[in-house]
Amino acid sequence: MKDLKHLIYFENLLQEANNELVQKAVAEGRQALGYNCYYIPEVLLNLGNCFSTRLRAPRCTSPDIGTYYMTQRTCPYVRSILERAIEGGYNHLSALFGSESCAAMERMEEQLYLLHPIKHENFFVTIIDPPMKGDETNLKYYKAQIQKHILNPMKNALGVDVSEEAMRRAIAEFNELAETVTAIGEFRKLDNPPITGYEFHVIQLVSEVCPHDLILPYLKETLAEVKKRKPEPKFPFRARVVLAGSEIDDPDFTKLIEGCGAMVVADRYCFGSFPSRETIEILPGETAFDAICRHYLHWNQCARFMDGMKIDQRHTELLKLVKEFKADGIIYENMKFCEFWSYEKVLASHIMSAENGIPCCTIEKEYALGSMGQLRTRFQAFVESLEIKKLGE
Amino acid sequence: MKFDWKKCFQILGKIGLVGLIGFAVTFTIYMGNFENKLIYYVVRPFLNKHYDSQVRDRRIV
Amino acid sequence: MGVLGNLIDSKLKKYDPIWMAENGKGGQRTRYYESTGVAKYREWRGLKDTMFDYVSWLNNVLAMGKMVASAPVPIMKGFWEYRWMGSFLGTFMFIDRLFEGYRDQELRVAHAQMHAIVKNLTGRIGYILSHDRRLGASQAKSEKLVPIDEVLPELFMTGFPDLYPVPLQTLPEFIICDVDQHIEPYYIDVAESFGLPADVCSRCAAETGVALDDAFPLVGKALITTNMPCNASEATSMFQRRRVGLPDYQATLAMIHNDDELALPFSKEIMKETIAFIEEQYNTKFNWKTFFEAAKRINEQNNFELEKWDYMKTGYTAEVGIAETLYKLYEWQSVNGADPYFNKVDRKVMKRLRKCYEDRYEPFGGKTRHRAFLWGPSAVYYTDFPTWIQNCWGVAIVLNMDSTMGFNMVDTEDEDRAMEDLTRLTQKATMRHMAVGGWDNVNAVWEWAHNFNCDMVLMNDNIACKGMLGVHSIMEEQARELGFHFIFIEHDLEDSRTVSRQNMRDCVNQYMSIVLNEEPLDPTIVSFDDSEAY
Repeated sequence: MKDLKHLIYFENLLQEANNELVQKAVAEGRQALGYNCYYIPEVLLNLGNCFSTRLRAPRCTSPDIGTYYMTQRTCPYVRSILERAIEGGYNHLSALFGSESCAAMERMEEQLYLLHPIKHENFFVTIIDPPMKGDETNLKYYKAQIQKHILNPMKNALGVDVSEEAMRRAIAEFNELAETVTAIGEFRKLDNPPITGYEFHVIQLVSEVCPHDLILPYLKETLAEVKKRKPEPKFPFRARVVLAGSEIDDPDFTKLIEGCGAMVVADRYCFGSFPSRETIEILPGETAFDAICRHYLHWNQCARFMDGMKIDQRHTELLKLVKEFKADGIIYENMKFCEFWSYEKVLASHIMSAENGIPCCTIEKEYALGSMGQLRTRFQAFVESLEIKKLGE
Repeated sequence: MKFDWKKCFQILGKIGLVGLIGFAVTFTIYMGNFENKLIYYVVRPFLNKHYDSQVRDRRIV
Repeated sequence: MGVLGNLIDSKLKKYDPIWMAENGKGGQRTRYYESTGVAKYREWRGLKDTMFDYVSWLNNVLAMGKMVASAPVPIMKGFWEYRWMGSFLGTFMFIDRLFEGYRDQELRVAHAQMHAIVKNLTGRIGYILSHDRRLGASQAKSEKLVPIDEVLPELFMTGFPDLYPVPLQTLPEFIICDVDQHIEPYYIDVAESFGLPADVCSRCAAETGVALDDAFPLVGKALITTNMPCNASEATSMFQRRRVGLPDYQATLAMIHNDDELALPFSKEIMKETIAFIEEQYNTKFNWKTFFEAAKRINEQNNFELEKWDYMKTGYTAEVGIAETLYKLYEWQSVNGADPYFNKVDRKVMKRLRKCYEDRYEPFGGKTRHRAFLWGPSAVYYTDFPTWIQNCWGVAIVLNMDSTMGFNMVDTEDEDRAMEDLTRLTQKATMRHMAVGGWDNVNAVWEWAHNFNCDMVLMNDNIACKGMLGVHSIMEEQARELGFHFIFIEHDLEDSRTVSRQNMRDCVNQYMSIVLNEEPLDPTIVSFDDSEAY
C-alpha cells in the first residue's frame, strides 16, 4: 500500500508528550490537562480553552528514578510516567486529573503533588475515586466525583466555563473526532483492509495526546485518503486478531504482532479505541453532564469492575469485536504487575477459548518494548496455530 | 442414715488419684510436647499423603 | 510461691531459655529440632508460669475436644476433604511459637485472649462443617449461613440473628496461613497453574487457588463480596463468585474513603444495599434491636481499646506484641461484636492492665530496648515475628497497623446515625484503611508512632502490595527526616517460599547489628532454620 501522507508526521507527534501540536496550543495560551485513565472523561478536559492529553512516556526504557520511588515491583507504566515527570517532560501541563483506578496509578499521581516534579505555575493534581460497578448508585457517585474533582477545579482554578451549553459544544466537537477515528477504524472490518493495525494505532494515539481541534484536520484528511487507498492485491497477513488487555501506548507493539503475521483488527485495551471513540449521545431529558457520566461508565470496560453486569459486558463486547472484525483469535496482554488484568486475562481467555471456541494467546509485557524475541516467538506460534486451525476447518 | 466418711474419703481419694494420673499424663504430654510430635511426624504426613492423592475438581467454572 | 516452688525453680532454671541466653548457655532455639520447628520439650518458664501455660494448653485442648464432639462426623469428613483442615492440627505449635518468652502478666493476658480466639474459632469450624453441603448437610440446613468476604466486618450481620455469617476465606486461607506457612503455597500453585502471574498479591492468589481447587465449604444461598482491601481482592472475587455459583452482591465501598462529603454517603448506600440484598435473598428482615445490642458490645470493646492505647503509650502494659495484634484482628475483624464472650475477656483483661499500670509493670522483664510501630500488611506466614524481634533484639511491637482498624463508636439508638457509624467502621477494615485509599492513610504512621512514643518504625514490605510499594522511597525519606529508626521487612504475605522467615529476620538482624551496633538478647535465634516448621 502507498504510505499514508501524514503517518510520519503522526509518528513524530508520538515521540514526545509535549509534541509540536501541544506546544502550539500552549503557546496560544491554552491549558493542557493531563490524564491517564479512561475513567476521566476526555471530553470534559476539552472544555473552554483547555485540551486533554493522555499521558505517555515515549521511549522511556529505564525509569530509574520512578523505580527508586515506587520499586521495580510496580506497574512500569506508572513508573515511566513518574520518571518522565521528574525529567521535566510534562512541564506543559496545567493540571493532572487522576483516578484511583488502581493502587499503583494512585500512588504515582500522589507523587506528582508530593514531589512537585512538574514545574508549571499553579499546577495541581486531583484524584477521583472511581466506582467499581455500573449501577445507578455507582453512577451517582461517579457524577459526584467528577463534579468535585474535575469540574469544580476546572471552573474555580482554571476559570473554565462548565455550563450546559459549553458541555454540549464539547460533546459535539468530541463526537466529530470520535466519528472520524471510528470511520478510519471501520476499514479494518474489510476482508482486505486499506489500513494496518499499526497505522490505526498511531492514528488513535495522536487523537488522544494532541489537542483535538489541531489534530482533527489531519485525521479527516487521512480518512479521505484511506477511503481511496488501494489495499494490497492480496490480504498480506496470515491471521486477524483482536488485541485486548491493559495499557499499550506504543504502536511498535502492534507492529511486532503484525510483523509476526497477525493483523490487529481491533484494539480493546487502555489507550485503544474500544472504548474511547464511541460518540456521546444526549438522551431526551438528560443534561450534557449526565450524558457524559452515563456514557463513560457504560463504555468503560476496565477489569476492575466487580459486578456481574460489567464483567459480562467486557466479555460480550469482546465477542462482538471478534465477530464484527472477523478475527481469528485474541491476544490478551497485561502490563507486568497489573493486578486487574493479570486476573482478567486468566478468566477472560478461559471464557473466550473454552466457552466460545476462540483461540487466545496470553502474554505479559513491560511498558517499554523489551523481550522482543520472546514475544515474537509466542506470536509466531500463535499465528501458526491459527493457520493450522483454519486449514482444519 | 449415717454419713459414711470412709466411703466419702474413698471416693475423694479415687477422684484425687484419677486427677493425679490425669495430671501426670497430660502434663507429661504437655511438657514433652508429645502431641505436637505425633501430629508433625505421624498424623500430618499421613493426611498429606491422602491430600496429594485426592482428585479435585480443579477448573475455572 | 512456697519453698518447694522456689526449690523447683532454682533446680530447673537452667532449662529456662531466657536464663540460658542471659548466661550464655543457649536460648530459645536450644530446645528445637533443626528446621522442623518441633520442640523437644516445651518452654520452661518457671514453675508458676509453666503451670499457667499448661492449664491454658489444657483449656485449649478441651475447646478442640468440644469442637469434635459437637459434630464428630462432619469434622472428620472435613479433615478428610479439605487440605486446609489438616493444617489446623498445627494450632498448639502455633500458640507455643507466639508466646515464646512470655512470662507473668503478659502471659496471662495473652492466654486469656488466645483462648477466646480458640473457643470462637473451634465453634465456628464445627458449625460451618456441620452445615457444609459438600460434607452431607442438607440444602435447608446450609441455607442459614451467609458466606461473606472475610474483609467485610460482620457487625452488620448481627442484625440478622437467625443467620450465621461465614467469612468465606478465613478458614481455608487467612487464619490457616497464620498456623501453617506451608499451606497457602499449595493453593497459590493451583492458581498459577491456570496462568495467574506470580507477581500478584499472594493472599489473593491463594484465595483464587482455593476457589479453583473447589475447596471452599458449600454453604448459604447468596454471597457477599467486597472490594476491600485492595485491587487483587477485587479481582479474585471474579473467580470466587463463579466457583461459589450463588447470587452475589458486591459491597464496593469507596476506596478513597476519608471524604465525608461524597464517600461516606456512597458507602452508606452500599451498606444499605448489602443489607437489602440479604433481606431479599434470605427472605428476612434486618433486626435493629439485635444490631444495637452488638453495637453496644463493639463500642465497649473500642472504649477498652482506647484505654489500652493509653497504657501502651507508657510501656507499663501487659498487652503486647503479637498477643495484642492477633486478638484485636480476630475480635474486630471476625467477631465484630457478635460474641459477648469477647467482652467478658476484655473486662477481665482490662482489670489486669489497669493493675499493671498502677504497679508500673514492665513486660519481658523490662528488657525492651526499642519501641516500634509495625506498619504495612504483615506476613501471615510469620505471625510470631513480633515475638521473635522482642526475644532476639528487645524490640517491642507497641502497636500494629491492623490494630488501628475502625475505632469509632456506633450509635445505639438512631437508625440513620447508626448506619453512618457502621459505614465508618466498616470502611476501616483490615489492611484497608492504612495501606490503600490515599496518601494520608499511609502517612498517618508517623503520627501514630510519635503518639505511642516509638523510636522505630518497622515497615512490612509485602513484595506484591502495589499500594505500599508505590510510596516506598517517600516513606524512607520521611523516616530519615523525622528521625525514626526505619526497617523495611520484605515478605511475600502468604508465600513463604519467595521470602523465607529467615530472610525476614535478616532484614532486622542487619539493621540491628550493622546500623545500631547492638548485640542480640538471645544469640540462638538470630539465625536459624525453621523452613520446615509449620
